[in-house]
Amino acid sequence: MDTPEYHWTRRRFLQWLAATGAGAVLTACGMRATPETISPTTPRPTATSEPTNAAETPSSATAEASGTPTDETPPAPAPTATPRGAAYLAVARGADPAALTMAALAALGGMERFVSSGADVIIKPNICTDYYPAEYGATTNPEVVAALVRMALGAGARRVRVMDMPFGGSAESAYERSGIAAAVAAAGGEMELMSPHKFRETDIPNGRDIKKWELYQDLLRADLVINVPIAKHHNLTKLTLGAKNLIGVAQNPGGLHTRIHQRIADLLSVIRPQLTVVDAVRTLMRGGPTGGNLDDVRLTNTVIASHDPVAADAYGATLFDFAPEDIGFIKAAAEMGLGSLDLSALTIEEMAV
Amino acid sequence: MKPQAWRRLRQIAQILALALFLFLFIYATFLNPQRAWADFFYRLDPLVALTATLAGRALIPGLGLAAFTVVLTLVFGRAWCGWLCPFGTVLEWLTPRRRHSSRKPLRRSAPRLQAPAEKWRRIKYLLLFIILFAALFGNQSLLFLDPITLMTRTTGMVILPALRFLIYETEAFLYQFDALWDVLDAVHSAVIFPIFRDVSSYFNLAVPIFLFFIAIVALNWWTERFWCRYLCPLGGLLGLLSKLSLVRREVSGGCAACALCSGDCPTGTINPREGYHSDPAECTVCYDCIVDCTREGVAFRWQLPTWKPAPLQEYDPQRRTVLAGLGAAALGVAVAGVEPINKRQPAELLRPPGATLTDFESLCIRCGECIRVCPTQGLQPSLFEGGVFNVLTPRLVPRLGYCNYRCNACGEVCPTGAIPRLDLATKQTIPLGLARVDRSRCLPWAHNIPCIVCEEACPVPHKAIWLYEAEVYNARSERITIQMPYVVKELCIGCGICEHNCPMGGDAAIRVLAPTEVGDFFGDDSDYRPHRGRRGS
Repeated sequence: MDTPEYHWTRRRFLQWLAATGAGAVLTACGMRATPETISPTTPRPTATSEPTNAAETPSSATAEASGTPTDETPPAPAPTATPRGAAYLAVARGADPAALTMAALAALGGMERFVSSGADVIIKPNICTDYYPAEYGATTNPEVVAALVRMALGAGARRVRVMDMPFGGSAESAYERSGIAAAVAAAGGEMELMSPHKFRETDIPNGRDIKKWELYQDLLRADLVINVPIAKHHNLTKLTLGAKNLIGVAQNPGGLHTRIHQRIADLLSVIRPQLTVVDAVRTLMRGGPTGGNLDDVRLTNTVIASHDPVAADAYGATLFDFAPEDIGFIKAAAEMGLGSLDLSALTIEEMAV
Repeated sequence: MKPQAWRRLRQIAQILALALFLFLFIYATFLNPQRAWADFFYRLDPLVALTATLAGRALIPGLGLAAFTVVLTLVFGRAWCGWLCPFGTVLEWLTPRRRHSSRKPLRRSAPRLQAPAEKWRRIKYLLLFIILFAALFGNQSLLFLDPITLMTRTTGMVILPALRFLIYETEAFLYQFDALWDVLDAVHSAVIFPIFRDVSSYFNLAVPIFLFFIAIVALNWWTERFWCRYLCPLGGLLGLLSKLSLVRREVSGGCAACALCSGDCPTGTINPREGYHSDPAECTVCYDCIVDCTREGVAFRWQLPTWKPAPLQEYDPQRRTVLAGLGAAALGVAVAGVEPINKRQPAELLRPPGATLTDFESLCIRCGECIRVCPTQGLQPSLFEGGVFNVLTPRLVPRLGYCNYRCNACGEVCPTGAIPRLDLATKQTIPLGLARVDRSRCLPWAHNIPCIVCEEACPVPHKAIWLYEAEVYNARSERITIQMPYVVKELCIGCGICEHNCPMGGDAAIRVLAPTEVGDFFGDDSDYRPHRGRRGS
């Protein structure tokens, strides 16, 4: 055939069309969807008719419209509807971290109050670095975490995942170094290495300083989030406690350090862990958040638990001889109506174990 | 055993050796560097053993395993090249003319390009002599031409990272669909994580390294195993030893001069004009010629008791080759001596931890094992930062990755001890640099904005970054107390996590520069306590 090779035929045209179309489809698939308000405001299914804890901060919405924080603070939530006989805030003191955790939870009405059967539970400890093992007081006590895993599974949870995003060292290394990986595995939970793909830009409708941030979606979708910070020193915020622990589920944690107190409170307003358990067994008094010196570690032998993240942090602050309002993020969170820092108004059950 | 079985055995050995080589990339990671295995192929490499011993002026016990390869070569010739060398295997597979199944005779089309002249084979000997003499003068710059370093570098800095990038981008695409998350999570933790460990790599020399590798592979299109025939210095060393080998290819009376074998020989060493004899210094003992032969006219046979060295070829090294190698090496080392790194350590050149304790630049063979194993991928192949003659030596680039406080893997895997093996406690006290706050850019210092991200991440027990408190006015004219970070030189180990985590765009406002020796003892921090006062108090 002498016909020239390059000659438009119907077949060639159709091939070309199909190839272009396929390319276009692929390109379109690769485009980032405009974040159409992946809204976490739909309340998580809660286990029981559990205290709503003044969750929706209704009055703040109008204040936010102007974009600037106002002096007009929403009313602090009334310490509401804790099940009969259960404490609002439980504080257990003693030497055995696991026993402390169980006692504190029992005082709150048991893990069953928070976990419905078949629930998907996420536990967020503080595993900030892989520098030092747990006795240095920089990472959450593995026995506390393991006790929570066991209780959650015992209460009928379908699965219990434990995760954090360290800023020093890889997650795999930090999980192992902290002793949490081994303890959780023994308790029947699973460690999740947080996937960079599961962060999405998320609206923070009640946020005062940040209105959007990239957050780990599993945390927003889980049936129950248990925040298990370790109470320790931090130079910028004075202390690290529950609310600040949530920085570990946000992308660009460095960026949150500007106006850090309000930003932490804003994060808390959208993540809203239903249970906060503050590990104050071995507290790092100086050189935080990374530690490295056993001289700086004090045996405080305390575990604090509450459904109210602000109250739990407020009590934690008192262990370091701070008033709750001395800690900026506690104050900011209370001002946003996310919980109560007025410890005198709460039913606190303190026990020695 | 039938010739086909020998060839099949060889192919199995090749696959196993390459698989082991690749497996070590996955197996020997920073959490467990597997010091017994990580540098296994280097310990088999007699060229590395020889040059590292010469250049480092030290016997490195681990490299004694190279004696195995030497003995193997003295018995079987360049069997290493045809049976074990991972680069040889890759070059054999990436060749334009496909090997046919072992049942059919090999039949290749006539080469489109004329093979280079036989004397080109001398290039590898010349390279070998240059490398050996340079090593004698304490320089291993050209070791980047060793086939094992070449494979490690290309695999660790280009192939695996690129594959990882591809897979993670595919994941990113699939993770857009929420319904797939459970499946993707399961696949990721079962398959992808064990291989790639969620490390993300960015190497500044990835493209040149890849092009160099591709260029060598592309030479296969000129003539098969071009690298092994003409260029490979390790091949040259083994070739010299093969002149003495005990098992050699022999042509017997059965040969019908059909030229099947000479056409098929991957190194082109079977010479029809010389009665189809071959040079054991070139033969890789691949058995192709024996499989080809229809008359059983060739075989590998013991040479004892009538053994004598193999005859010299026109391309074999002569005295002038050796002298040329000596001259080139002396000239090269002399020119290298003019480079300013010999006078002063460049400020931005941070070597891996502990490298200050050794004769690093002499011992380093540019293999990239340390770069491969570094969990933060802060170790990078240098371009000209350490001088032209130190291209491809590792350096820490904190902005890309810091030296993990808990990791000493680079020293564990270093085949030559250029990076010493240090226990973790020792490594944590040896400064590899010194951080410096750039007060003209730092958020608190320059802009009155609170930020202590550098201090927060500092891993040493008392923190090497301390904080002044000062009262300043912020942009809203509010009087605020602000913490201004400064570096305590006596405590800083230069790990670079401060520089890495600094939120400033572009260059960090705290940078690690070359360590400064002013006589303070590093490491014992018991006397140091953070000063809690205000500035000037």
